[in-house]
Amino acid sequence: MRIGIVRGHVVLGAAVPSLSGTRLLLVEPINAENLAADNGAGGGKCLIVADHLAPHVGQRIAFVEGREAANPYWPERVPVDAYCALIVERADFRPPQSQSSPSPREAQR
Amino acid sequence: MFLARIDGTLTATVKHATLASCRFLIGQRLEADGCTSGEPLVLLDRLGARHGSTVVVSTDGDIAREWLGNTTPGRMIVVGLVDAVTPALGSGAQR
Repeated sequence: MRIGIVRGHVVLGAAVPSLSGTRLLLVEPINAENLAADNGAGGGKCLIVADHLAPHVGQRIAFVEGREAANPYWPERVPVDAYCALIVERADFRPPQSQSSPSPREAQR
Repeated sequence: MFLARIDGTLTATVKHATLASCRFLIGQRLEADGCTSGEPLVLLDRLGARHGSTVVVSTDGDIAREWLGNTTPGRMIVVGLVDAVTPALGSGAQR
């Protein structure tokens, strides 16, 4: 799971039947620098996350991606690939100062 | 599966019901050069990994479903605590 900040909600006018009624969040993932600084910034690429927990805008969540994101809807089959698994109450993130920088390969992306 | 270093913990009161008994850690994926990559990850742990531990993480949801039930969104699980990596990460001898 990655950690992200809820930036908004998405409302669909038309949708495939299996997705109707699904609450959708607009989420900005939080990178290591911003999580350590606890500055309210994200830094990742926004994505849409299906949700049952109703977090507010500005709250931090952890979301699962991939096939497992549809597990909460089992045995129904839904086209969901990101799901809000929890609302973060407290994140105690303390990477070592000397090793907190990304690898050169990552920095080039 | 990949290597990760445990850099923190996370608490959550509001969460999917299947995650009620889980311990959440925050880890960062490790590359062969010893540097971290990607965004921090929330990991599920039953092995007792500590801050600074190097662990093996599996992204396969089968073990999560086995532990937590078919409807769990759990996915990234600490499946091993690393004693040693040889040659050491960042030694430049991996290639």
